[in-house]
Amino acid sequence: MDKSMEKIDSVKFLIYLLVFILITLFMVLFLIVPTIKDYRSSMGVYKTVLVQKLSVESLLKEKKKELLDLRTENKRVIASFMHTFTTKNFIAYAGTFFNAVSLVEVEKKGYKDEFREYQLRVSSQLKSPTKFYDFLEGLNRYENIVQADFPIHMESNSSIIKSSFTIKVYDLNATR
Amino acid sequence: MKRDGKVSMRLSFIAPRKKHFFSMFTKIWLIFIALVIVLLSIFNVFVLFKTLEYKSSVVNLESQRKSLASTIEETDKKIRFIVRQKAIAEEIYANNIILKDSMKNLFDLVPDQITLNKVLMKKYSLIIYGVTPTKDTFNSLLAAPLKSIFHTSKTVFYLTQDGWYNFVSTNKIISPDKLEEQ
Repeated sequence: MDKSMEKIDSVKFLIYLLVFILITLFMVLFLIVPTIKDYRSSMGVYKTVLVQKLSVESLLKEKKKELLDLRTENKRVIASFMHTFTTKNFIAYAGTFFNAVSLVEVEKKGYKDEFREYQLRVSSQLKSPTKFYDFLEGLNRYENIVQADFPIHMESNSSIIKSSFTIKVYDLNATR
Repeated sequence: MKRDGKVSMRLSFIAPRKKHFFSMFTKIWLIFIALVIVLLSIFNVFVLFKTLEYKSSVVNLESQRKSLASTIEETDKKIRFIVRQKAIAEEIYANNIILKDSMKNLFDLVPDQITLNKVLMKKYSLIIYGVTPTKDTFNSLLAAPLKSIFHTSKTVFYLTQDGWYNFVSTNKIISPDKLEEQ
């Protein structure tokens, strides 16, 4: 039988204990502490990046909501810019106010980067100027974005008024 | 104790003890040390694993943030475009209404005694051709309001065969650019 457990030398025990404590301390100081430090700094970086990501995410959510609201608010305007302009439809619209409508393309020019601007000369006949006012008012509800512009030429000839004026059509499709 | 000239070994009363390379105490001590090393190493590996997990999450989050930021930029672009479309549309609609009002104002200005034959409206000028019974009628009823609207207003009269006057009234506004220059 090993009697070493029965007769433990106190000096030997203290030395063994000291060595044990030293080894443990060494392991903690040189292995665990640096790892924990690295862990804590990684966790700090992770938390910062997470907060940043969450704030960007909420900003995107706000922006998307803003875009959606703008799209809903300006549905008609957006659709009008996207609508392809056809002379046939415009003549049909103008025909409800004027007689003998004709359109001549004056020029096509760029306008503020994205939009293409057409200038068309409209020649028409009308019985009273009030029809012209109605036409201008109705233009704001037309399927395209159309601006009536100068020069406006009106000449009365017996019972009818001959008129000619310029319209500017803003077409987004023309640029694509 | 010599027998037959040989040295005989005396037998021990106790059985010989088995000598161990390490004593029991040392063994327990070594086991403790090994246990501490193993436990601390396991703990260390666990912490290292968690650290790596955080590090890979950071890379992942960074790439997600970048893609979100680029989506924000695209959304901003779309918002700016709609705002521009809205502004342009509002400007055009306002211009149409202004044009309508100015046309209406012009025709409302003309009294019943005067007949207009031709109207030429440009951005900064208005030329009116018409017939008036007398020069005074024109000057008091139409020339006065025209002068208050335009910067320059000139009228030329031609006597007709039936005693009325044909007139050509040329009215001009100095464009805002030229006004600034002055």
